[in-house]
Formats: sequence, structure tokens, C-alpha cells
Amino acid sequence: MTGASLIHLTQTVVNEQDVVTEFEQILLVGLVFVIMFGLGAGLTPRDFRSALRRPWGLIIGFVTQFGIMPLLAYLLVIAVLFQLPREYAAPVALGALLMGCVPAGTTSNIFTYFSKGNLALSVIMTTNSTLWAILMTPLVLAFYGSLVFDAESDLQIPILNIVVTLATLLIPVVAGMILRRYSANVGAVMELLGGFFGLFFIVFLMATWVPRNWALLTSTPWQTYLVAIGLGLFGIAIAYAIARAIRMHPMNARTIGLETGIQNGPLAIAIVLLTFAGSPDIGLILFVPALYSLFIVIVATFVTFWFRRANLAEEQKIPNLL
Amino acid sequence: MTERPWLAHYPADVEHELVPPPFRTLPELIAHAAAEYADTVAFTQCMPNGMNGSLTYAQVEALSDAFAAYLREDVGLQAGDRVAMQMPNCLSYPVVAFGILKAGCVLVNTNPLYTASEMIHQFSDSGAKALVIIDMFADRLPEVVAATDIETVVTVRIGEFFPPVIAGVIRLVQKWWNRSLPAITVEHTALQTALASGRERLGKAESYVEGLGADSLAALQYTGGTTGVAKGAMLSHGNLVANTLQMMQLLSTHIRPGKEVVLTALPMYHIFAFTVNLIGFFHEGARNILIPSPRPPSNLKRAFENYKITWTTGVNTLFNALLNERWFTENPPKHLVASAAGGMALHESVSERWREVTGTPIVEGYGLTETSPALTFNPLGGVGKDGTIGIPVPSTDIRCVGEDGTDVGVGEPGELIARGPQVTAGYWNRPDDTANAMLDGWFRTGDIAQMDEDGYFTIVDRKKDMVLVSGFNVYPNEVEERIAAMPGVLEVGVIGLPDEKTGESVRAYIVAAENPPTEAEVMAHCRETLAAYKVPKSVRFVEELPKSPIGKILRRELRAIGVTSDTASIETQGRELS
Repeated sequence: MTGASLIHLTQTVVNEQDVVTEFEQILLVGLVFVIMFGLGAGLTPRDFRSALRRPWGLIIGFVTQFGIMPLLAYLLVIAVLFQLPREYAAPVALGALLMGCVPAGTTSNIFTYFSKGNLALSVIMTTNSTLWAILMTPLVLAFYGSLVFDAESDLQIPILNIVVTLATLLIPVVAGMILRRYSANVGAVMELLGGFFGLFFIVFLMATWVPRNWALLTSTPWQTYLVAIGLGLFGIAIAYAIARAIRMHPMNARTIGLETGIQNGPLAIAIVLLTFAGSPDIGLILFVPALYSLFIVIVATFVTFWFRRANLAEEQKIPNLL
Repeated sequence: MTERPWLAHYPADVEHELVPPPFRTLPELIAHAAAEYADTVAFTQCMPNGMNGSLTYAQVEALSDAFAAYLREDVGLQAGDRVAMQMPNCLSYPVVAFGILKAGCVLVNTNPLYTASEMIHQFSDSGAKALVIIDMFADRLPEVVAATDIETVVTVRIGEFFPPVIAGVIRLVQKWWNRSLPAITVEHTALQTALASGRERLGKAESYVEGLGADSLAALQYTGGTTGVAKGAMLSHGNLVANTLQMMQLLSTHIRPGKEVVLTALPMYHIFAFTVNLIGFFHEGARNILIPSPRPPSNLKRAFENYKITWTTGVNTLFNALLNERWFTENPPKHLVASAAGGMALHESVSERWREVTGTPIVEGYGLTETSPALTFNPLGGVGKDGTIGIPVPSTDIRCVGEDGTDVGVGEPGELIARGPQVTAGYWNRPDDTANAMLDGWFRTGDIAQMDEDGYFTIVDRKKDMVLVSGFNVYPNEVEERIAAMPGVLEVGVIGLPDEKTGESVRAYIVAAENPPTEAEVMAHCRETLAAYKVPKSVRFVEELPKSPIGKILRRELRAIGVTSDTASIETQGRELS
């Protein structure tokens, strides 16, 4: 792709005011609330106590989630994305970094289930990283942001806004926990819905966002796709390799792999929508989170198939050690 | 009158003889409890994800009345007709079971996981005319209905009597997510339709049970399926009423009428949960928390989180499984009062840990399908002796006899025989089997036991599981107990295999937990405390052990595995040689 056409591309996007329509914004934020609500509806204070008593799985999850994923996003940005002209690459990179810094998504629980992983570990890791995200996501994002963007750049990360957004999203988690206490039935339905809405979100993206941005998608450079797909794929691979290297049970290693690689796409999009509202670059910032959310389903599906085949024989002999 | 040394160990305020019950039949018992506890919640079904539904005592009474009316008026069944039911623990269970009994019909409990041929055997043998079945397992119906006298099929859903939205969600998940609902191709009536129809024909309930007395047949409870052809033990209303009250009387020190919340994780089609949970705790005004599927044990997590469970009943396998769950050991149920184990030997290592983790007593009882089931229990309010099955329940006599039928001495092993109001009159349509099982009016259990000087009994083993090594008796239970106490062992099954040198030899099958021991370590451990001939000659590590629906380890199947795998390896060797 030539430089001239890239500049053209940038301008089209910047001028596009309705990359995400107002209706979609409200719907997406609502969806994220339902997902977080479902997450809370599956939790009791006991779960937190149990998690704190046995911190190893969580420490590993914490390290992979807020250590590896942001670093991976950063490396992909400087090695791949910054081959492209800055005026296009910078806002896209911001989205990619954000995608690396958000916590794990609830979809990972579904894939863990299908890959015969440790579901309880998956749920507790998702929860744990979501709670830590209030502190860690802004912190890590600010750190890598300072490496990528110079202080005078037009593009600044509104850290405070992100903290407020994340804190706001904890309200439905707490509400879910309280609700579940009073009605186990409503809690269970919300938990179920939360999981399904994660998938529904992808379908929604495909049905509305993809067709409307088709021209944009077809003219997007391969580097952007590599970043969006690589973040999930390499994330799963690296975390899985580390878990295996420190001799974790394959079941738990699979869980940690999926848990790490599968980020909370809807949350990243919601953060962009809520904190960059009105910014002319919002369309490009949204790009990687949206592409990531689309492709992670495909990536995770393939990985799940591979996990199911590769690990069955091995597991016969190894007892569960976590 | 036989001597009863155990009476001295009854808790202070427990009567020695069964207090004559104010009712002769189960419908009377049910009506009595329903009137007393009308607005109390009787049953709550808790799904693995926490979805739940409940019925009060009054609702159970009204719904089962309607079902009785449906059976008599719509289907046209008569008193004494057999009705089979096949479902996991769910809210429909008490409605249907009580309905069958109130219709004066005979209940044929059937394992829902049975194959078509097992169902055909049980339904033909019992002569069942109607079947109430959970829709998930209805795929076997065409074959079964064609081969038996079953004319009426009623189907129930797992979410029956749940709040409508929740029932709908469960159904959607079953249909589209799990795809666990087969198309039902035979003529059938949905439970709700049957109940609606029955409700319009209420009013003759008295007449259905008019002819019923203590000796009338209440249930055909099939047994022996694991050892050969399943036979129907005939349990009368009197048997079941007596046994319910015998048990409740002995456990009365720890049961507060109208206040208990009991975890019912064992299937109620099995005699233990049927008598203890369904009827016994119903009689005590308790709330039964019904668990449709206790496996994997994480399915019980929500039940323990959402309900203040005060009582649990279970088998060794269940208690052991819970003790291996971190969520359970880290948050043991705070309101637990006591637990009762039955169905199989409770390992001392398990009972000790259970007491340690929960801080509450667990007592083991003993019985058989043929004895409704309880014959003995460790007295909760008295001295409990671990490793023993306790003392006989009120109005029950137990002896240990030798091959010649005469009593063996205190501490000597002999076959346990029993007499009491809970003992079956015999097997349905099998006079020969009945005659074999009886000895001058006493029921022969087929278990080898010994009594200590206080009248506490200890089961040595099943007569037929005994392994004969060079002429010495080895009781698998003893070896299993030792191995189960080793760290790194989750479950163990011990059997005898044919052996050229010693006639039979001992083999242990082990399911490993974390850091499993090696074969040599297992043998060394056994050698420390067991005579040489009892030490396993071989140890095999396996993924899981064959188990009965309630989790009893099936030694017969283990033997089959042991024999075929050995023959197979011999054959392979033979081929290699030639």
C-alpha cells in the first residue's frame, strides 16, 4: 500500500462520524453492563476468600494478564504497526495497547469449558483480573502509552476517565452479587445471559459493524490485522507455554492460556466509547478492539480444537496438581 | 426372645421398642405430615447453577392427590397395579411417588440410566402397567413399550414446578444448548396435563386406599442387579412406615421437627434416600434440597451456598468426594447438625476427616433393600463406634450365625441375619429366592459380620466378595480401608483374581489423587499392618472405578475387568511367543 492511499484512508475514517452510531453505543455499554452483572451473579464472598487463600493460580494469571498481554501489545505495536504512517498508526496503536491492558473476558469461560479446562479456575481468574483492572489497566496503559506517544502528542490517554469507567463497571458486578443473594434463580439467569451476551456481541458486530465498515476493512493494511489477531493467538500460546514450562497440569495450562489470550473486547470498546467520545480519532482507536473481538472467536475455536486433540493422551497419567 | 445387649447403649430418651405409629400406611403418614407442616417448604430442587423451584407440604399433598386421581380415574388403574417411575431427584418425584401410593398402586422405582434391556426386564418382571419417566431419557421408550405391558406413559420435565421463566430457560438450554431432549415417539401424556385432568376428578381419594393395610404392598424395590438378575423386594406399607419411624426414633436426638434442611444428593429411587430423605425427613417436617445430579461434586456447590443445610445423608463416595473439593473444605456448612452414611462401608479415614472439617458427627448405618433399608445405626445421641455399623434400630433383632445356622460367639464372624417389622416378605414372584433368603423367619443378609460385647456390629464383608488366598479368608474391605488411608489415594477397590499358586490373589485398583504412591509403596504400606496373605499381589492405577448409581464400588465389574485384561495380556504373550 502506498503512503498516499494510506493518508486517504486516514481521512476517510476521521471524517466518518458514525463509525459507531449512537444506538450502538448505548447498546454496547448496556451489553457490557449485563456481562458484568452476570459475572457478579455467579460470585459469593466465599469465592474471594478461597481465591485469596490459594494465590498461585491467581498470581500466574495476574502476571500473564497484566504483564504479558500489555507487553505483547506494545511489541506488536512498535514492531508491526509503526511500519505504517504515524497519523494512521498512532490512534490504532492506542486501541491495541488498550486491548492488551483490559482484563480477561467472560467468553474465556465458555472456551475453557469446551476445551475441558478448569472452569472454576477460569471463572476466578476472570473475576480476579476484572477487579484488579481498576488499578492495573490505567497503570499499565499509562506506562506503555508514555513509551509510545511523546508528551506533546495530540493523542493523550485520559487515565482518570478510564479509572472512572472501570469503577462504574464494578457497580453491576456488586449488584449481581447482591441480587444473587436474594434470588438464586434471577442470579443464575443473569449469569447465563452474561455468557451468551458475550457471544451475542460478536454476532452483533458482524451483523452491523462489519457491513457498514466494509470498505474500510478491505483497505486496512495487513499489519493491523496481524496486531488484532496476533494479540489473542500469541497471548494464548505464550501463556500456555509458560504454564507448561512451570509444570502445571495441562488442564490448568489450557485454562491459563485461554484466559490470558481472550481479553474483554466489549469492555475495551466500552472504554473507548465512554472516554474518547467526541474525539476525531475514535474510529481508528476502536479499530483493533473491534477486529480483535471478531477474530478472537475464530482463534479461540481453533485453539480449543487443538487443545482437545493434543492433550487427551497426556492427561491419562498426570494427576491434577493445582 | 433373643438377647439384646445393645439396648444398654440406646441414648437416654430413646424408647427401646418402636413406638406404635399413629398410621398404618404411607398415605396416612404423608397426610399427617402435610397437615402438620402445611405451609412449610417440603422440597426444593437445586440445579448445578443455582436455579431452583420449591413445593410446600400442602402443595405436595394437593398435587399428589391429583396424580392419584389421574391414575385411578383417567388411566383406570386398580389398587395393587404396578406403576414404574424413572427420574432423577426433582420436584416431580414426591408428587408422582406419593400419587402412586395414594392411588393404592405399587411403586416400582427404576434407575433412569437403565438401558432398554434393563428397563424391559424390570417392567416385565414387575408387570408394570404405567410408567412415569423424565423426558431426557425417553429415547428408549419405543423398544421398551413394545416389549412390556406398559400402556400409559407420563413424561415429566426436569424444571417441573419451577417458576415459569426459569423452567423455560432450563428447557431452552436443554433443547438448544445441551440437545438432551430426544423426540418422544410413543403416545404419552405430559405430567401437567395428567395433573389438570386429575384435579377435575378429585373426591374419591378415600376409596383408593380403603383396602390398604400394613401388609399391603407399597413398592417393588429391585435389587441384585449388580450380582445377576434383578429381583423385586416386596416392601409393604408396614415395612416402610416402621423403618421410617425406627430410624427417626434412633436419630431423634439430632432432629428438630419442622426445622431441618436436608441435602438429598443420593437418588431417591434408591432405597436409602427413598426411606430416609423422601419419607423420613418429610415425616419430620424438614426441607429436602433435591440434587438432580450430584456428579461432578461441584454440582453441589450452589446448594451449600444458597441453603442453610443442617443434615446430609450420603454414601462414603459422596462424603469423600466433598472432602476433596476445596470450596467445601474451605467453607464447610456452618449450620450442619449431623450426617448419616449408608449404602456402603464408611471408611474411617473419611468419617474422621468429615468430623474434623465440619465439626459435626457422622454416623454410619447399615441395611439392605430387603430391609427397607435400615437395620442398624450408630446412635447419634449415644456412643458411636467408628468402623462399626452401630446397634440395631428399635424392635429389630440381629444375630451372627455360622454355616450351620447356630449363633457364633461375640467377636466371631458369621452371617448377619435379621428380624423386624422392616424386613420384606420376600421377592416378587420368586418363591425359591425368597426361601433361600429366609432362615426360620430371619432374613439372611449375605454379609459377614461380628458383634462386640456392647452389641455393636461390624461388617467384615460381603460373603461373596471374600477372597480365598491359599485357604485363608481375605476381606476386601479390610484391605481397602488400609489403602484408602494412604495419602495420594482417592478411591480404591479390592478384588480376588484367579491365581495358579494360591487359588486366588488380591488385587487393588486405585484412583490416584495428588502425589500418588507407587505400587511398591502401596504394598509396603499394607505389609505394615496386614498379614502377608492379605497384601495385594498386584496394584493397578485406573482413571475411575465402576460404580453403582449411588456410588458403591462394583467389585463384580472390577473382577470382570481384572479377568479379561489378564486373559488379554496372556493371549498377547502367547502370540508373541508363537
